[in-house]
Amino acid sequence: MTELNLEELRNLKADKVVDARGMACPGPLLAAKRAIVEVPAKGILEVLSSDAGTRRDIPLWAKKMSHEYLGDVEDAGYWRIFVKTVK
Amino acid sequence: MAEKLSMTVMTGSIDRLTGMAILAGGAAGMDVEVEIFLQLWGVYAFKKDVITENMHLSEFKEKGEQLVKRMKELNLPMWFDILKEARESGKVSIYACSTASSIWDVNKEDLEMVDDIIGAGEWVLKSKDAAITLFI
Repeated sequence: MTELNLEELRNLKADKVVDARGMACPGPLLAAKRAIVEVPAKGILEVLSSDAGTRRDIPLWAKKMSHEYLGDVEDAGYWRIFVKTVK
Repeated sequence: MAEKLSMTVMTGSIDRLTGMAILAGGAAGMDVEVEIFLQLWGVYAFKKDVITENMHLSEFKEKGEQLVKRMKELNLPMWFDILKEARESGKVSIYACSTASSIWDVNKEDLEMVDDIIGAGEWVLKSKDAAITLFI
């Protein structure tokens, strides 16, 4: 699993964006789980979350589901978290 | 050991039920199966005529007003909505203790989100291979 650098992440165009800002754990994680089924194989899911727990959950979830965690970028009061589907 | 979270829920207080619901959600998110067994106050709290009205706290009751206010400010869902979302997102089964159901004179139809009414023996068999077992 290769994580991208900040520049690459900032310019990444996701196939699907889940805006979970303002949701508390486990809301964003469950929203990501629901959304990833709509992402094509080798596509990119972007999760927007203001929850600190989610920022740690998503990479662990990605690993468990055999997806690829690409990294996250901090924006104004939230993180943009990127996951690439493998299958 | 099965990748399962097993929670025996004795509490009917919404602070503890919130903790329980969040764990169920976290497990569902990670594809960990969840099984919940409601005992006594847990069964009572899941009654259709109690579930949304219940404001009982188990501790720091003097902070209750502040807690509710803060949850509203953060737009946090109530425990039963968190649990409902967990059930929609993964395998989350909820059972009610048959003795407690007799005490409160309820059957499955009188309870929200309960899949079946079972006895202690069956519950112990269900929980014995779970990797995580909790009493709440």
